[in-house]
Amino acid sequence: MTTTATRSRSRSDVTLQQQIRANRFRTFLVLLGFGLLSAVFVGVIAVAYQPGVAGLVGIVAIVYGVVSWFAAGSIIASASGAHKVSKEDQPEVYRLLENVAIAAGIPKTPDLYMIDDPSPNAFAAGRDPEHAYVAVTTGILKLMDKRELEGVLAHEMSHVRNRDVRLMSLAAVLVGVIALAADLLMRITIFGGGSDEREGGLGAIGIAIGIVAAILAPIGASLLQLSLSRRREYLADASAVEITGDAEGLAMALAALRDDTTPLHTVTRATAHLYIESPLRDHQGLRSSLGGLFDTHPPLEDRIARLEQMGGFTLPAAPAARA
Amino acid sequence: MTVLIIVIVIVLALLAWVAYSYNRLVRLRNESEQGFSGIDIQLKRRADLIPNLVESVKAYAAHEQGVFDEVAQARAATLSAQGVAGAAEAAGQTGAALGRLFAVAEAYPQLRASENFKQLQDELTDTEDKIAAARRYYNSVVQAFNTAQQTFPASLIAGTFGFSPREYFRLEDDHDRDPVAVSF
Repeated sequence: MTTTATRSRSRSDVTLQQQIRANRFRTFLVLLGFGLLSAVFVGVIAVAYQPGVAGLVGIVAIVYGVVSWFAAGSIIASASGAHKVSKEDQPEVYRLLENVAIAAGIPKTPDLYMIDDPSPNAFAAGRDPEHAYVAVTTGILKLMDKRELEGVLAHEMSHVRNRDVRLMSLAAVLVGVIALAADLLMRITIFGGGSDEREGGLGAIGIAIGIVAAILAPIGASLLQLSLSRRREYLADASAVEITGDAEGLAMALAALRDDTTPLHTVTRATAHLYIESPLRDHQGLRSSLGGLFDTHPPLEDRIARLEQMGGFTLPAAPAARA
Repeated sequence: MTVLIIVIVIVLALLAWVAYSYNRLVRLRNESEQGFSGIDIQLKRRADLIPNLVESVKAYAAHEQGVFDEVAQARAATLSAQGVAGAAEAAGQTGAALGRLFAVAEAYPQLRASENFKQLQDELTDTEDKIAAARRYYNSVVQAFNTAQQTFPASLIAGTFGFSPREYFRLEDDHDRDPVAVSF
């Protein structure tokens, strides 16, 4: 027992490199998928309307793609209401973040962002470790002690270290936009905007656009699923334990998240996968209507159980009220 | 012809494997060097805090010269330490000396209440947390590096290109958190 424990203390170097490589590949897939879907979108518009409009949409898509690559982090920050805080504002949290970055071997401590929300949650986003930030809600600072918070920050730091952040950020801004685009297409179909000159053709075109929109939306959703396996949350938990050497701290943090039921205010389908715990609670429509199929996170109970196994401890069971 | 192609493919595969293993060892060696300089930065930072700390304690307990000398020696040892083992030894010495300095400070409530002392103590605690974090990173990278050198067949590459195992950064009284098994 002791020998295995000591041996596996080492950073899983091979696993980390594999993760980084897999994430690069998946990032490429997300970009490719975005490009292909944009091309289809442009093609449909060219056929249904005019090439001029299609060209414009194409340019917009390219600009959006480039901007996303560089500014995904900022887009997500403003979409989730996170704002940067300095070391002076939050010295304790910031120091904890510095320590976790050092233990993870990340030369530059990521920026610290805050979300004014009583719901406890956290996420990391950004292009690469140099441009990454870790965002925490005011609720999580209130809920957790230093040890638990260290576990949460280490979990986020693992996402930064193995390049999950870039993939997850890009997925949010590129794949998330598909739902938006599909929505837009539907609206055009219903109101028939922009087709005044083509009398009589509206019916056929409308049906075509409707079909495309109906195809695009689930493709977007599956792409999100494809690029963001739930396995990465387990991996980030395991890496967090390597970083802090404290499985119990993270497990207690997850238990605290499990027992809290405050829903997060500013969250969309596109950013849900970023958070340490799914911000879409059970009782909210989107999640329950789709069942567990589109869950972005594995159940907290599972994650806690794995941590218990790693650390060889047992947390007190969940309050009975929740069962 | 076919035989030639097979031989070429095998040779290329071998070369690719050698390059991969070699690059991996180089990366791990660089990472462990960076890891050590990470510890070093924090140790130096702690050494930089010492003069002010000693001054503030001296103001209340000037007669405790023995402790001050001990701290000064440990600080000098930190600044002149060579290699991992040397740095670890000096770090242990500094930790023990600072422990005694704070034990002295305990006896002076006015000192403990002073803003300046509190701030120094706070910064020192932070530095010590950071030393611990940097050690954790360094030791885990060294373990990965050493394991990579010792496991067959990469050990052949390590031997050929003269890689050697690195020392862990260990303190005398190692109260680091218990190791945990990590499984994927």
